[in-house]
Parts: sequence; structure tokens; C-alpha cells
Amino acid sequence: MSAAAVLKPKDYKSATRPVWCPGCGDFGVLNALTKALAGLGLAPEQVAVISGIGCSSRLPAYTSVYGFHGVHGRALPVATGLAVARPELTVIATGGDGDGFSIGGNHFLHACRRNANLTYLIMDNAVYGMTKGQASPTSAPDWAGSKLTPNGPGIAAFRPLEIALSAGAGFIARGFSGDPNGLARQLAEAISYPGFAFLQVLSPCITYRPEQMEYKALVSAGFEPLADRNEAFRRLLTDDGFTTGVLFRAPVAAPAPADARQAAGDEAAALDALAREFTAARLRGDGGYEP
Amino acid sequence: MSPEVHAGASVALFLAHAITLEDEAAERYDELADVMAVHHNEVEALFRRMAGYSRLHRDEAQARAAAEALALPPLRPWEFAWPAPESPESAALEHTHYLMDAHQALSLALAAERQAQAFYRQVAETTADSGVRALATEFAEEEAEHARLLEAWLAQHPPSSASPGDDLDPPVAID
Repeated sequence: MSAAAVLKPKDYKSATRPVWCPGCGDFGVLNALTKALAGLGLAPEQVAVISGIGCSSRLPAYTSVYGFHGVHGRALPVATGLAVARPELTVIATGGDGDGFSIGGNHFLHACRRNANLTYLIMDNAVYGMTKGQASPTSAPDWAGSKLTPNGPGIAAFRPLEIALSAGAGFIARGFSGDPNGLARQLAEAISYPGFAFLQVLSPCITYRPEQMEYKALVSAGFEPLADRNEAFRRLLTDDGFTTGVLFRAPVAAPAPADARQAAGDEAAALDALAREFTAARLRGDGGYEP
Repeated sequence: MSPEVHAGASVALFLAHAITLEDEAAERYDELADVMAVHHNEVEALFRRMAGYSRLHRDEAQARAAAEALALPPLRPWEFAWPAPESPESAALEHTHYLMDAHQALSLALAAERQAQAFYRQVAETTADSGVRALATEFAEEEAEHARLLEAWLAQHPPSSASPGDDLDPPVAID
């Protein structure tokens, strides 16, 4: 594709028809993502979308950018590897609340800590939709919509923004799938952030959580970007779970060019030393390493 | 466009909005047609037809811009000044259902056309630019004509006794 061509959102969509239920919030997220990529003018071949398993994790197939539909809960390790190995790419990991906060919960914590340059987009509908409607980590303790938990799961809901703040994420925001243009803007900000950016998107599942059709009336834009982590925690004390916007954006101190070169050189030297060590062990036959 | 934008809107800015409004309406109808095809619902054809109409109007607005050699402002998706989160003629996704019938699909499309009509009418009533006013008035009348057409189709497709909630195999029954 010509670098001069002006790309439209639909240029980032594939010919594959989504199998999501009609009315699924994930359609809005797909539209927002394609709008964000078009708004940023990113060439499709410079973008990779990585996912785990679940309804929302089908998203890479519906885009024309590079994609990898991975293992349940493991979108972030794959995305982190890609972001580290190919820093010139725009890497976006996607998935649902079950995939990201339960099965992949540990990866979520450490991805926040590692601060690799990638965007993590969670489509949160507080239910396992693909397996037909069980309580997920973000379901309320008294949500009794599943026969598996007739009195509700009975445990406190996972609070993604607080967890991301605690674990050290540099960019934290919440959006809504029913506002694809506003969400596109948030996504563009997240993608442009030089580090780990986490975006929780309220994305209704009207099949298993029909009450989420009311989200449109409940969400309100209320977060203003804060640069102080403690202030962000305080802001969340009055959050009802439906406030949208960028909650936290850690200031990014650009390394001085000389420092950056030194850091890159140190890293390259360390990798060379590691490679030499492995090669020597293999030649000696005592490294426990089979090529 | 929001009232602040209408006041100083140029014909180029207005046409940029009109073209995107029709383009996004067509995209949404195609999206609905695709999902209905996946779920073997015959209202796919109706949504596909509506997408075709929206593309015709988009092309018409593009032709107006080309005829006057207007350079349209390169707006990013979030820079459009819509009165609601989405462009006015985008059918509401959350009001769809895999069992929806022709009456429900036509009602959805009618609501979208009326929103577009209201948008153009509001622009016509508030703009200070005579060129924008003339175009917005014309486009509002076109949307009104579409709405009348849909109302006639609706009369041919009365509501069925079953609602989308009358699913004989409801998804939650499998839990």
C-alpha cells in the first residue's frame, strides 16, 4: 500500500464476517480500533493485534492488520515478546475480562510492571459469553444470572483500574463501546503512549447480560488525566465503574540520547554474552540444551 | 454538528460531515447485513439495500464537493461534531437481535433516517452560511423522503406476534 494513500477505517477491516451476536458491544470496539488506526495513519503492515480466547478475542480476524489468535489468557506474553523483538511495530493486545483478568490475570500484573510498549484493550462485559454466560472476574458478587452461581459468585469483583495502578501501568483509561468515536480517540492516545497502556472498555453482552443495554444511560465522561498515582487512587474512591476517560498518564522521561545508546549497547552486549554462553554449553554438551 | 460548529460552518466542512454520515450509515447497514447473514436471518437483504441507498447519497455529496472543487477538511474520526456519540444515520447496534423480523429492521432504519433528517434540519436552522443552509435543507428533505418510503414499507410488514424475546431456544437455557 502506498505510504501516501489516505487510509479509511474500513481499510483496516478484513473480509471476514464477525460471528458476534447482533448488538454485541465488540462491534463498537472493532469500529473504534479501525478509526483509531486510520486517525493515526498507521500502515496496516506496521500493526499487529494479538488476542487470547473468547468472543472479543476473535477481533484480530476481523482486521486487515497482522494478527495472532493465541492461547487462553496468553495474549500479553505473546504481545510482549513481539513488542520487544519488533519495537518498530504497533502492538495491540485484546481480549475479554475473563481472558485478561482471570485466566491471564498473572500476565496482566506483570505486563503492567514490565512496561513494554504496547496497548492492552480489554472488552469487559462481566460475563463469559463464549461459554454461555458464567460469572467472570468483573461480575458483581450478587449477579445471579447464571445457573452455576444462582446466588451470585459471592466474591468481590476484580477492579481493573486499581489493579493496573497498583501494578505500575503508565497509561490507564476506561472507554465505552457505544461511543466509538470517543473510544477511537482514547485508543489513539493509548497507542501513542510510549509504554504499557491499559484501556478497559465497557462492552455490553446483550445476550447474557441484557441489562447492560442500559450502559448508554449510565456511562459518563468524568476522568481527567492525572499524572500522580496517589491522586489517581483517590479519584477511584468515587468511581462508580461507569466513569470514562483517561484516568492516569505517567509522565514519560525521554532518556538522553547518550544514555539511550549506552542502554542499547549494554543490552546488546548482555545478549551477546548470553548467546556465547549457550553456544559454549551446547558445544560442551553439558548445557541441558538441545538445538 | 454542534451549535458552535454550525454557526461558522463552511460548505466544505458541512459536506465532510454529510459524506461521513452517509458512509458510516452504509458501513453500519453492511455490518448489520453481515451479522444477519451469519445468523441466517433474511432481513440481511433489507440492510444490504439500505447500505446501497446510503452509498448513493454519499456519492452524491462527494459529487457536489468535486463539482465545486472543494478541498474537504481532513478530519480524524473523533474530530467530527456530531450531536451524539455516533454519526446520526448509524443504526443503533444495541437494538438488533438475531431473530429480528422485517418490521423491527425497518423500524431501526426509520429511526436512523429520522435522526439524519433532524441533524440536517438543525444545521439548516442554525447555520449562518447560506450555502450550507441550502444544502442542509435539501438533504433534510431527502432524508424525509427516505423516512416516508420506510413508513410505506413498514405498513406492508406489520409487527409479528412474536418478539425477539420469544426465542424457543434461548441461549441462557444451556447453562
